[in-house]
Amino acid sequence: MFALDLGAATASAAIIGEIDGRRRLLASISVPAGVDADDLLVHLVSRFSAADPVLAADLGAGSDAVERWSRLVARSDPPPVLAVLASTVRERDALERIAGLAGWRTRGASLEADGPIELTRLALERGVRAIAVAAGEATSREEQAALVELAALTRGIAERNPGPQVLLVGALAAEAGSIPAGAAGDDPLFAPGPEAGEPAGLPLRRFLERLVPASSAGRRATPAAAVDLAAVLDRRVEVIDIGLDGGLRAVAGPEGLEGPAAFLPAAGLVPPELDDGVVDGVLAWSTVPLDRHRMHDRLRELRLAPWVEAHGEGALLRLSAARAALERLVRATPDLGALPAPDLVVVAGGAWAAAPGPAIALAVADVVRRPGASQLAFDHARLLGPIGSLGDAVGRRALLGELADDLLAPLGTVIIPQGLRAGRSAGRLVVRGPAGETELDLVPGGLQLVDLPPGQLATADLRFRDQVGLGTRGRHLSIEVGGGLGGLLVDLRDVPLRLPERAEPRRALLGAWQAAFWAGVAE
Amino acid sequence: MSARAVTRTAAKAARAEALTRAELEASAGSLAQGYALVPSRTLIVPDPVAWFALRPGDRILVAPGDPVTPGLGLAERQRDPRVEDGPPLAGATAAEHPLRPGDWWPGDGHESGGPLRRRRPRTPAGELLQPAGARWRIASGDHVDVLEAPAAGVVSEATPGRAIAVALAGRGLPAAFGVGTPTRGRLERISGEAGLRGALGVGRAGSVLVVDGRVDSESIIRARAMGVRGVVVSGLAGKDLRDLVASEGRQRASLQPLAAFAVLALEGTLRRPIPGPVAALLAALEGSEVALVVDPPMLVFDPPTPEPQRPPPGWVRVRAGELTGREGRWLRAAGVRRFAAGTHLEAAAIALEDGQVAVVPLADLERFT
Repeated sequence: MFALDLGAATASAAIIGEIDGRRRLLASISVPAGVDADDLLVHLVSRFSAADPVLAADLGAGSDAVERWSRLVARSDPPPVLAVLASTVRERDALERIAGLAGWRTRGASLEADGPIELTRLALERGVRAIAVAAGEATSREEQAALVELAALTRGIAERNPGPQVLLVGALAAEAGSIPAGAAGDDPLFAPGPEAGEPAGLPLRRFLERLVPASSAGRRATPAAAVDLAAVLDRRVEVIDIGLDGGLRAVAGPEGLEGPAAFLPAAGLVPPELDDGVVDGVLAWSTVPLDRHRMHDRLRELRLAPWVEAHGEGALLRLSAARAALERLVRATPDLGALPAPDLVVVAGGAWAAAPGPAIALAVADVVRRPGASQLAFDHARLLGPIGSLGDAVGRRALLGELADDLLAPLGTVIIPQGLRAGRSAGRLVVRGPAGETELDLVPGGLQLVDLPPGQLATADLRFRDQVGLGTRGRHLSIEVGGGLGGLLVDLRDVPLRLPERAEPRRALLGAWQAAFWAGVAE
Repeated sequence: MSARAVTRTAAKAARAEALTRAELEASAGSLAQGYALVPSRTLIVPDPVAWFALRPGDRILVAPGDPVTPGLGLAERQRDPRVEDGPPLAGATAAEHPLRPGDWWPGDGHESGGPLRRRRPRTPAGELLQPAGARWRIASGDHVDVLEAPAAGVVSEATPGRAIAVALAGRGLPAAFGVGTPTRGRLERISGEAGLRGALGVGRAGSVLVVDGRVDSESIIRARAMGVRGVVVSGLAGKDLRDLVASEGRQRASLQPLAAFAVLALEGTLRRPIPGPVAALLAALEGSEVALVVDPPMLVFDPPTPEPQRPPPGWVRVRAGELTGREGRWLRAAGVRRFAAGTHLEAAAIALEDGQVAVVPLADLERFT
């Protein structure tokens, strides 16, 4: 069987074959997007056959395997565009924020700030898949007049442009009257307002998620795989996926998702609309000395050809952009961030594809500042999406159960205590593992790394001078930790992370931390 | 980096990978192994369709199916559209010719059904937006710029407030991005370190300049002021792009008629040499009339006679890294290799044009289709 994850920037393919009655990941490859899937599979099969001809012969991996073998495919299309028309700037912002979490790329305008011409222009733009029109309850004569004008404008837009689905949000639903049906005969839809529900906005978010066209479902398949993975491992699992066109964050336990999964186009590696906020966000994490103009140019190049220059300075830049994207994702999902630290964080997506494992672990620890201890793993063969796309839930869980050890590359364990007092020493750490004991002084503000190879388990005994937060509060804590490419990372830096304001010392500090985790970074 | 240094690097890479030229030649009998994995870009678009964006208030002068010739007006674009009260919803005109949003309202004189009178119009001309009370709201304005067709073709779509699409006759050379207004002119090439700044003169008026040297926003703005119709560059930095857009905005605000002018960047924001096959095509087009469109960014041309040869099978170009801009021939996929900053990437062995063999990341290569 083949698993294909056809992303916006990279295409990944994997061979899954049965050995001794159990399905295993046998080979994988990742190449720039746009390559024909058959060409990619032919190359993968020929490489697999060359590496292990006996096994390839056993599995029938001949020249006809590309046609014969079944395929699991996850394809990421660009996020659909939602035109947001609102009476006020506040309404527009609220609707854009919720639609952004539901996987829509939004373009918004308001009567208050932009006027009817701009609203009409926006709704008529090429590529708009749906139009959401929002207005709050009118409490004054002016607001009532704006509501009436917005409703008339919407009727006009729907009449002249019947293609996109019209969605009436909040108080506008009552005012709209007869909006013409769309090209496919679909009547306007009525959605709850951004303030409705508990927590506020959740019903609207679910509504908007259901409207996302099925063709954009690539990243949407991953939460199903996360739920199954949590059930198979009997652990709480968080998936963080950063791709070129969007980010995903989902937290699942054995019982299912612990909150709505967030699909955020704005958390893509480099959004198509490259504003100063995005550029500044990347500059804040950059270890490469670039001014704002040059950073803007480099990011634009990255957007134009995201697979190019994944080495040298380009690799550092890419990881800075991935950190900034992850920061946007974390900032947009405070509800998921407020949950207790998961047992396992799975990092996925093409943004991380070229970075060494330990550097990925550090990047996640830099941005996801949550007190607790979590294991980190990397979906190195990009299998979560294709497996999640499998419609048969029982078969999907069985496949994940067999592949769980293969599909996750262990990056290590991160321990982040909160509430350390500044000083020379905050306590002692003793790690007891198969290779013996390691003892370390815990120095506040620092990063401490303990070698713990993939596959090894150890016990970390932490004895602090004062009480700290680590999921629970205490002074003496004992945690079972798993090894990985990055080993055990004890992160005694501030929660949230505080970095120098000035660019030069900030770059130096980030560079020093990164150098400890990225072998050969200076080559 | 000098050519000698690049050659040294390539040779070093070749030695480090322990690949001998003979071995590579032996393995390069066919292109099957991995060449299809090289990212491809389109050299020539056979039937280009250009889009011309409109805003509410812009007046369309053509209809779908209309043939257009270069210079024919496609639409009148409002420089500064505003909302006005339009015709009444009910009345003789509304009964005879029901109005719909998006329709063009020609102005006063018609709403009463009577003849045009010599007086200030009661309602200006404009595009109907939506009913408001007893009248229509319209998008209107005082100053218009005529949007001209940059090349011949057939109108395939004309939607008020959105866009006009024209299926262009000829072929298109795609670019990374473009700014400005669609334009046309005689193609002239400028090369050398002096770049655009050193080549400007009154004789360049009416031309589209292809610059394979230094370029900045000041010289592009100066070129526009001297009557140059468009500039094609390899790369244009974001700062220059912003300066250019700001300059165009200032011109627009001055209410003077604007000449059509566009800038196309073939490669992106960084300066790189123009790829060999593209340079050969542009050389063949020198002196002929070409058009520049910005959506999608493309240089549109009639096929030159004789047509330049397409790149041979196996042709590749290095897009990034130390060998940026170098061209060569595909030898074979080289598996996963270690590159700068300790990264491990899919690699390929290529023979550069000077005979040197280099191993480069597969993703840094490109080919034309």
